[in-house]
Amino acid sequence: MEQSPNLDVPVDLDAVDEEAALKAAKPQRRGFLPIVTNWFDRLFIGIYLFVALELFWMRFLEQSIPLTVCHVVAVLLGALIVWKG
Amino acid sequence: MRSNKVGWLLLAPTIVVLALFGIVPFIYVLYVGFHQWNPFGANPSMIYNGANNFRRLVFDAEFLTAIWYTLKFALFAVLSEVVIGYFLAQLFMREFPGKGFFRTIHTLPLIVAPIVVGSVWRLMTTPSIGVIPYYLRTWFGFDLNIGRDPNAAFILTVIMDIWHWTPLVTLTLLAALVSLPKEPFEQAEIDGASRSQIFWHITLPMIRPAILATVFIRLMDALRTVDEVWMLTGGGPGAATRYIGLHIWKVVFPKTDYGYGSAISLIVLYLTLVMCWLLYVALVAPRRDARKVA
Repeated sequence: MEQSPNLDVPVDLDAVDEEAALKAAKPQRRGFLPIVTNWFDRLFIGIYLFVALELFWMRFLEQSIPLTVCHVVAVLLGALIVWKG
Repeated sequence: MRSNKVGWLLLAPTIVVLALFGIVPFIYVLYVGFHQWNPFGANPSMIYNGANNFRRLVFDAEFLTAIWYTLKFALFAVLSEVVIGYFLAQLFMREFPGKGFFRTIHTLPLIVAPIVVGSVWRLMTTPSIGVIPYYLRTWFGFDLNIGRDPNAAFILTVIMDIWHWTPLVTLTLLAALVSLPKEPFEQAEIDGASRSQIFWHITLPMIRPAILATVFIRLMDALRTVDEVWMLTGGGPGAATRYIGLHIWKVVFPKTDYGYGSAISLIVLYLTLVMCWLLYVALVAPRRDARKVA
């Protein structure tokens, strides 16, 4: 049996709004990047940094440290950004 | 479910065109970028050479110089176009005699092909016959010779780009300004806000997405400009106006070094994406703290 609403009690509209907003809002992801991102944004940032690091390494460090080290560092950095960024 | 299927069906032509003309060529350039390939040479087959093309370009002084000049060109041209375009848009928001005529005249450069713009500007700036060197010499005693003076050549390419593309910025910002609601401005005037306060705190934040979209379009165009500059200066004098698009053209066509040219193209694409992304982050990306407050 359907219960009829009690019309004598005033409705707190602010509380209703706040409750609806809380229900609608997804829990915000906490990462170390200063902007709100989804996984694709973080993958994109990871790829940017991967390329930048590779070019920098080839220009300045490859004579002393092999490029394979750079690959490992860049992939780890990318993974870190995608998971924790 | 049914509406999803219809949606995908309607999107299919766009996806197919995008894949054929966007993604497939990109993957092909990526593939060529890791090869040594001179299809008109003694050995026309592709030879895989790993990251050697990229290794070569980080040491290539010509490439690095071209990147530096391109960034300088893009910065000066796009910044000037946005500032001048904004003022012209504000001008077109007011009523004045001959507004329609002036707006039409002002938009005309947009419909001129870049190669024609370059050749007209070349005619106007050739020292012996050009109208610009003639009046500069007659009125100010200034001898303009873009075949000899690198700074003059650089500045002229920037001015030519501004002349050609400012109308696009004006039209975009005009559309943004026209669509703004009047209430915030009336309210600010009632509250006694000055014109600069209205500009910085109301107009600019409200048209920020339009500015960003315009800057994206112009930045991408400026970074790959070829034909206008090719016609005006041919990349000279020396390498003063050899922007990256022109550099790629010279590597790929006269030298037929397709592998290295593809590697440079990829790096230019990378730089363009990075700059656009940084602009997006700086101007419109939602901050974590801001979202917490909301």
